[in-house]
Amino acid sequence: MRVRVFVTLKPSVFDPQGTTVAEALHTLGYGAVNGVRQGKYFELDVDAASAEQARAVATGAADQLLANPVIESYRIEVDGAGTAS
Amino acid sequence: MKFAVVVFPGSNCDHDAYHAVKHVLGQEAAFVWHKDTSLGNADAVILPGGFAYGDYLRTGAIARFSPVMAAVKAFAAQGGPVIGICNGFQVLLEAGLLPGAMLRNNSLQFRCQFVHTRIEHVDTPFTSAGQVGQVLKLPIAHGEGNYFADSATVDALERNRQVIFRYVTAGGDATSQANPNGSVRNIAGLCSEGRNVVGLMPHPERACESALGSADGLVILESIVQSVGAGGGVPLGHEAPSGSSLHV
Repeated sequence: MRVRVFVTLKPSVFDPQGTTVAEALHTLGYGAVNGVRQGKYFELDVDAASAEQARAVATGAADQLLANPVIESYRIEVDGAGTAS
Repeated sequence: MKFAVVVFPGSNCDHDAYHAVKHVLGQEAAFVWHKDTSLGNADAVILPGGFAYGDYLRTGAIARFSPVMAAVKAFAAQGGPVIGICNGFQVLLEAGLLPGAMLRNNSLQFRCQFVHTRIEHVDTPFTSAGQVGQVLKLPIAHGEGNYFADSATVDALERNRQVIFRYVTAGGDATSQANPNGSVRNIAGLCSEGRNVVGLMPHPERACESALGSADGLVILESIVQSVGAGGGVPLGHEAPSGSSLHV
């Protein structure tokens, strides 16, 4: 089962890369872009009998390794299921 | 005394640390491979600089799961002195042995330069031979040394006197210009609540001989030797150069 994990810096954490990308976009004329937050995207191929089970596996993986809770939060999407964080 | 220098795949300052301990301080040193589960009979542990696991995912994020880290945690829990330098500091943060996390430098540049670092407290095994306010000229070489923790955590660190090193000017002032990476409150290094685990971004082991541009880092390594000698009955080394810590 395909699971997508999106890891982003918490809103309270300054994102120098996102800020630099936003500035570059402004230079290119994308004035409509108010801000950019850069993050990480993971696709997990998970052996699971149900979407709930796949989400549980991905949640454990995100908590333990994929995200650092000090600076990052994450959101999980399971193919064929809804979105939840 | 005997230092264990942990080697992760991608460590590149392990030999610098070994050299400083063995050839400059005249102490015993042994490399410990990250897959080992024992630190031998080490009196102190160094997690060296480098790029463990290529800095994949986040700096130190994979290395924290290396088998040797269980031994390092147990050693630290018993009060053993553990120092993480640069990437070693990042590993300690990811492992939860020190609070906080590293962000990309606010300049987005890899910074390879000398900085000035002020000793904030001397009641740790890593600064006991120094003086409060002493300014050390030390090299840094990192892209992700922008120390971050939420303000409540940083307040607690300050209250508990766990901020051990701060980036300062040559004159000792903690200004934003003296901060090479954007670290909150100019924090360059901190210690654990038990004070026996310390992490810092600057490289004292690369600044132990004047031929390398500075010998100011010696005071940190000599502090460890003195502390272990005083507390554990381990004889002090006889080959440490005299006067080497007096670079204020």
